[in-house]
Amino acid sequence: MTTPPALRTRNVGKRYRRAWALRNCSLELPPGRVTALVGPNGAGKTTLLRLSTGLLAPTAGSVEVFGESPATNSVRVLSRISFLAQDHPLYRHFSVADLLRFGRSCNIRFDHDLAVRRLTQLGISLDARAGRLSGGQQSQVALALALAKRPNLLVLDEPLSRLDPLARQEFQQTLMGAVADGDLTVLFSSHAVDELERVCDHLVVINYGRVVLRGEIDALLAEHRVLVGPRVRTDPRGSRSVIEIKHSDRHTTMLVRQGAAPIMPGWQANPVGLDELVLAYLRRPADHEEQIA
Amino acid sequence: MTWMVWRQHRTEVVALAIFVSVIATALVVLGRPMHALFPAGSAHCLTPPLDLTCRFAQARLTQDYGYSTIVLILLNFAPYAIGGFLGAPLLARELEAGTWQLAWTQAVPRRRWLAVKVMVLGTVSVLLVAGLSAVIGWYRQPLDLLGGFDITGFDLTGIAPMAYTLFAFALGVAAGAVLRRSLPAAAGAFVLFLAVRFTVAGWIRPHFRMPVTRIDAFVPGSGDLTDGTSNVRDMILSQGFIDAGGRHITGLGAVILEGKAREQGGDPTVYLHDHGIQRWVVFQPIARYWPFQLIETVTFAGLAVLLLALVFWRIRRTAF
Amino acid sequence: MFHFRLDTSSGVPPYLQLVHQVQQAVMLGFLQPGDRLPLIREVVESLAINPNTVAKAYRQLEQENLVTGRQGHGTFVNDSLPAAVPPATYTSLRLGLHTWLRRAYAAGLDDQAIAALFAAVHHQTKAAETA
Repeated sequence: MTTPPALRTRNVGKRYRRAWALRNCSLELPPGRVTALVGPNGAGKTTLLRLSTGLLAPTAGSVEVFGESPATNSVRVLSRISFLAQDHPLYRHFSVADLLRFGRSCNIRFDHDLAVRRLTQLGISLDARAGRLSGGQQSQVALALALAKRPNLLVLDEPLSRLDPLARQEFQQTLMGAVADGDLTVLFSSHAVDELERVCDHLVVINYGRVVLRGEIDALLAEHRVLVGPRVRTDPRGSRSVIEIKHSDRHTTMLVRQGAAPIMPGWQANPVGLDELVLAYLRRPADHEEQIA
Repeated sequence: MTWMVWRQHRTEVVALAIFVSVIATALVVLGRPMHALFPAGSAHCLTPPLDLTCRFAQARLTQDYGYSTIVLILLNFAPYAIGGFLGAPLLARELEAGTWQLAWTQAVPRRRWLAVKVMVLGTVSVLLVAGLSAVIGWYRQPLDLLGGFDITGFDLTGIAPMAYTLFAFALGVAAGAVLRRSLPAAAGAFVLFLAVRFTVAGWIRPHFRMPVTRIDAFVPGSGDLTDGTSNVRDMILSQGFIDAGGRHITGLGAVILEGKAREQGGDPTVYLHDHGIQRWVVFQPIARYWPFQLIETVTFAGLAVLLLALVFWRIRRTAF
Repeated sequence: MFHFRLDTSSGVPPYLQLVHQVQQAVMLGFLQPGDRLPLIREVVESLAINPNTVAKAYRQLEQENLVTGRQGHGTFVNDSLPAAVPPATYTSLRLGLHTWLRRAYAAGLDDQAIAALFAAVHHQTKAAETA
């Protein structure tokens, strides 16, 4: 009997008044893995994250967390999910101890001692007012709150964007440590690609409210190549495996998704970096209907 | 979760408690000398005939404590101050600070969360007003001699103030859900609160029940133009004279007529009686105080319930 | 205790970097047979790296017979390591490279051109081998 995936969306869409913020998104989060949701601002990342945590209900399609729709707001599904929203909202006039008490009073499972240990290790005083802490400390408190609940799915909306490099490092250490403890699937959104390879196993790229690329990072990098060769006259863009093509006077550069297919003679194949790959997919126009593997 | 609600809103609750205590203390201080005018209690001065002490005390009341009318009118803002200030930030503060994303992803379902908040803070507001109303009731007792079936009396006593408070509270919560910010919600709720209160008190309440019309002939020689049998605490809707042809004479016309009746000097009732003019008044008798309290309370409590139900319905479906 | 490093700008996948670092350390003698590699949790906490990545690296090392994982105890460097490259082969490879480099300099290539040429041929050869 297979356990249901941590998160599965089937053709999920969300419309606000006239505009669709998200359309036809299907993805499945493998359990115990860390998945990054990448895309420009306004692409629909926050909408997708809110749909995953039950803060929004879908207009079309379905969302399931461990087999149950989070929009039902049932205690069971809510207790398995933790959400760390953008800019780590906290009750600013609460002390850290108050926040932990809040967590304890609103959750079934709450490992208060674990949270206290973690925060003490980081040098964060329990009596400090949340609003007086630095940005990095606030994000650590928010993360401690989210993890003390012992969730099985942790969703974070751009957790690193406002943090200085040291705070970012510390945050990632805490996050990865929690993943190492087991039983935790993580989904977080980011618009910075450089840190992803170290922290994530899986990637979902979103643009114009649709998923344009998804898969395991190592597999994606193995399947894509940059081909450099003499200038071609025909336009192979119609081909499904050509992601991007650039011409100069004498030669042509193509980003292709071909796996291990042999290269034409006279052409050179180079591996592609993750940021180059993501950017190429983000540069594709909105009307391009892509078949996602 | 109750601890959570208290911790989140304790500043407002404490501030309002202090506010209420200060007002109550002030009322006690101001009311003591007023009560002292009536050593035997002011109630027995309400039924005619008035003895000398009563007349004297009443005169003193009008002369020295005329400002109390303003105090009473201002006290009508208390239900809004208490209910609206607790209701407006209830949802709005979470929405404007983004903490709704934190609160609604704990293991408490959204509706239960809202229900607990509404119950706790709604109860606190009603209790605060109940306490204040008791003190106001005591304070204004002597002022019954000057009237009472209006915003200086009816709106401040009985069970209506609690319904007003619930209504203000519900308005605050609903405004917060729509406007998503505390201050605009408080302002919006205030405007709506005033509008509805004015409308009901001014136009609808006088017609909760069919008003009583009385036509009395003047007794020549009595010298008394006032309606001696009607209670000073009745709610007068219109009054004046009705002539032999059945025409009503009110306002300026009544003043002119009265002037004519007094022109010759002597007893004006003779003139009026000779011209077939009768006394006419349309009013709600004070005896209807409790039925009217009930209708008013049910109206405002019903509006409050309706508003809260709307918020409950919307909170499930809406994106914030 | 052995320490890992991570170079995010190198273009090499993180798990491969870990694998290479262990391979190099074994080859150079910094890791001896019987030494324990850092626990996954320790690596995760010091590098802020995905634990699955570390697990993947350790699995690959195990497949290459460099290490053995023992449930509950950790991952240890194997007593019997795969046949190392004999020192004589090393010496002749170095000499050959030295000769090649002198020829390249004499032909007028600068350091960048040499690196580019090496990378291109390296790729080509690798691609030919995996095909």
